[in-house]
Amino acid sequence: MSLKGIGTPADQARLARRKRIGQIYRIVTGIPVVLAVLLIATLVFDVTTDTVSWHVVEPDNEGVNLSFQEGFRWFGTWEHVVTQELEARGEDPAATLGDAEERRKFGLRNRVELLWSLNGQPMRWVVSNSRDDRVASYGWFEGNRMHDELLAGLEGGEQLRLNPWLDAAFFTKNASRTPLMAGLINALVGTVWVILLVILISVPIGVGSAVYLEEYAPNNWMTRFIEVNIRNLAGVPSIVYGILGLYAFVRLMNIGPVVLSASMTLALLILPVVVIASREAIKAVPPSLRQASYGLGATRWQTTSRVVLPNAVSGIVTGVILAVARAIGETAPLLMVGAAAFIPRIPDGPFATYTVIPIQIYSWVGENDPEFANVASAGIVVLLVILVALYAVAFYLRRRFERSW
Amino acid sequence: MASQAVPKDHVTVRTDPIPAGEAVVTLENLSLWYGDFQALHDVSLTVPKNQVTALIGASGCGKSTLLRCVNRMNDLVPSVRVEGQLSYEGVNLYDGAVDPVEVRRRVGMVFQKPNPFPKSVYENVAFGPRLHGYAGDMDALVEKSLKGAALWDEVQDKLKQSGLGLSGGQQQRLCIARAMATDPDVILMDEPTSALDPIATDRIEELIHEIKKDYTVIIVTHNMQQAGRVSDRTAFMHLGVLIEEGPTEQIFTNPQHEMTERYISGRFG
Amino acid sequence: MTQNAKTLARAAGLHKSGTRNVGERVIGIVLFLAASVSIVTTAAVILALSAETISFFADPAVSIVEFLTAREWTPLFPESQRYFGISPLVIGTLMVTFVALIVGLPLGLGSAIYLSEFANPQTRRSVMSVLEVLAGIPTVVLGYFALFFVTPILRDIVPGLNLFNPLSAGLVMGFMILPTISSISVDSMQAVPRALREAAYGLGASKHEVVAKVVVPAALSGIVASFILAMSRAIGETMIVTLAAGQKPTFTFDLRETIATMTSFIVQAAKGDQPAGSLASQSLYAVGATLFLMTFALNLVSQQIVQRFGERYE
Ligand SMILES: Nc1ncnc2c1ncn2[C@@H]1O[C@H](COP(=O)(O)OP(=O)(O)O)[C@@H](O)[C@H]1O
Ligand SMILES: [Mg+2]
Repeated sequence: MSLKGIGTPADQARLARRKRIGQIYRIVTGIPVVLAVLLIATLVFDVTTDTVSWHVVEPDNEGVNLSFQEGFRWFGTWEHVVTQELEARGEDPAATLGDAEERRKFGLRNRVELLWSLNGQPMRWVVSNSRDDRVASYGWFEGNRMHDELLAGLEGGEQLRLNPWLDAAFFTKNASRTPLMAGLINALVGTVWVILLVILISVPIGVGSAVYLEEYAPNNWMTRFIEVNIRNLAGVPSIVYGILGLYAFVRLMNIGPVVLSASMTLALLILPVVVIASREAIKAVPPSLRQASYGLGATRWQTTSRVVLPNAVSGIVTGVILAVARAIGETAPLLMVGAAAFIPRIPDGPFATYTVIPIQIYSWVGENDPEFANVASAGIVVLLVILVALYAVAFYLRRRFERSW
Repeated sequence: MASQAVPKDHVTVRTDPIPAGEAVVTLENLSLWYGDFQALHDVSLTVPKNQVTALIGASGCGKSTLLRCVNRMNDLVPSVRVEGQLSYEGVNLYDGAVDPVEVRRRVGMVFQKPNPFPKSVYENVAFGPRLHGYAGDMDALVEKSLKGAALWDEVQDKLKQSGLGLSGGQQQRLCIARAMATDPDVILMDEPTSALDPIATDRIEELIHEIKKDYTVIIVTHNMQQAGRVSDRTAFMHLGVLIEEGPTEQIFTNPQHEMTERYISGRFG
Repeated sequence: MTQNAKTLARAAGLHKSGTRNVGERVIGIVLFLAASVSIVTTAAVILALSAETISFFADPAVSIVEFLTAREWTPLFPESQRYFGISPLVIGTLMVTFVALIVGLPLGLGSAIYLSEFANPQTRRSVMSVLEVLAGIPTVVLGYFALFFVTPILRDIVPGLNLFNPLSAGLVMGFMILPTISSISVDSMQAVPRALREAAYGLGASKHEVVAKVVVPAALSGIVASFILAMSRAIGETMIVTLAAGQKPTFTFDLRETIATMTSFIVQAAKGDQPAGSLASQSLYAVGATLFLMTFALNLVSQQIVQRFGERYE
């Protein structure tokens, strides 16, 4: 018998083959993991680079064209920038900005752009005329590749600009027919309103259901029916909730295509998630704590509200955050209950007409002008940043929560 | 009763030591750590061929750990570190060139709780041989193994049925048959009857008696009567240290070490 | 309790407090009402779908036979060109689902095996979080990605591929269902008891053999259930198909054609703001009912598989 291992040469050859197969298994099953991570990376990369594009423009000489050597500044309104520049030139900003009509016209005509690059010079602000003639547009990569060529090819008065679609102004403008004028403010506020109401509706009902099922429900057919029912609701496609919202809220109850209809629809949509997560959290509270409370003569509700819920709260909050993240990204059901592609005013309450970020993205994707793809990608980046923040909080809470028992 | 500390320099008391020529498995100064916790301290033991060696000792003293060293089952625990030598037929099993897969084929194992696969009786037995590319007549091998485990008469009509459908004792004999089917030299048994009723236990004990003409058996038990009934030699462990080993009769009637005596007379553990 | 006993109990301070008791009961009832919202929701879904669907079929212009057999679906067209055969929508849905499953099943199962069996716990944890994030990407974003990133690449590879096509939508959807398959399958593989794995290792199995011959077979019910659930997800998914597969009901099995699915039709019909009670509006509910039945059936099957064939280990 050889010192190297045991077994006949034939055995050892077989063993070597089995080992190779084992390696293949590891690699083949590892590939999907890599692919999934790659897909996310590609998606984020693609979306982010879509928010920047190169333009060759011919400035419209009838508009105001100011350019500011202000350097790198992200926040501030166009009024602020214009005021500073006009003061620096010794002119009176009030002449332009003081009069409401003049100011409106100026705002419509122009936009403040943080131009990362203008004719090869980096970083400056301009207030540019939105009617500047766009001679040509190039994606980020294409523009980079052809940069020198494009610069050389500029004809009289033309400028080469690197335009970041996702600038500070993007958050202060409403949707528009002109890509350069399009912004997210109404959708952003719409999302806040809708989600606020979603939380107000779904959390009490969801946590209440979970408390009922875990702490109160008798073990009978009714309870089992509710449980099965919740599990089934979790599998219903979101668009079906949209149909329900359209039928019940918008038409039957005649609430109309307003924030409240959207919130109720989404609240029902995430309800199963909230219930299931809350039940898990409540289940994780050790029975000994309850017994201790009952042993001190507490009633059921006292035990629930003072012992069970406080100990389950981080689990419940985690579940609610994840559910809310889902609601923020939902598009299909809101298309059914009348989220509008364009609303003239910022939503200001439960009965306002509304739009939300994903709906706005959807409508931008559907526009003919290819520059709306850039606008849509700016919206997507905003949406993803919000969601990633929520997920980060949820994961953090979950980790802490797991450790506590 | 407080468990008694073992002196660091304890030397295992040996009666009638086994000459090296008759050994199948030899442990030399084997130590094992789970992370920072040392579970085995310099254990040296010689296991004779075609005999039954019993490991006894209080719960948590390292019997299972020692047993699992012999087929390198401990490799599955990520934090394990082993020092010393464990040789099988003269080959150090903890040599880097030895694949645990080959070790386990030659050193079979039967667990505390019967754990047949959720497959048919036949497939349970054929599992090992299939892995190792058995080229002969599988039906015959299955029959031979089941007969070897004294199970054939009871299951010959149920070969296609799930192994989980058998009684607990039958399941454990199925696991023994399954271990035999890879044609091992050594079979390790970790408290194989602790989950069984007395009648099933009797049958397993009888079986152990029969199979020792073909296999070397190492059995962990904390049932001292069982050790007395089935084993030829007995090793007594305490807190990871091998206190004493020798012929079973000797250990039970005339233990040399005071701890051994107290353990077998039921005064601690 | 007799009057006497009551008095005694009160005297001893042991009487049931009236207000406390009523308060407890009210809370119990309120909580029960919260729990019954889910039942009301289900009832409302069924009511909404069936009421309008019944009106749809009650209309003399529509027949169930036509609905099931005709090969054209044009309910939003003027009356003279209207056809009500749902098959183009169902086929469109199934084509996208098919592509999604071709992509998602192997990737989902493969990643589940890797995460459950080969990855160390720390890798498993972080990758599972990444997969959760993948599952949380809004589908409108995935639709954008399919349309603006995947489709242009595919158009360079696949000749004759339309701008809107089920191939690209299905491909991206495959990644959407990957986390569903993966997380459920990982759970069911992790539930396979250690004793079974050890039995196999004890017979000289190497890791991949334990995985292939013991763990995966023992976890099969969970894995199959995850497949079916993923299929149901794919069928009900709306935004990816609406954006990337098109809204033109076509009776075709060609993955390069522009098609419509049940879900994308529903969106199209709702956006057009059809007057309530019109056939066009009712057709939306009929398609919704069909979609609901399909996904509901799949979800039930998936739950049944887990309940009936799931190995139970102590
Ligand atoms: N996987 C493990 N990780 C860490 N410690 C372990 C592990 N397995 C056993 N131990 C410890 O090693 C000691 C010996 O255990 P074991 O061999 O199972 O004892 P016995 O079988 O004699 O009851 C015990 O203290 C036990 O807690
Ligand atoms: Mg043990």
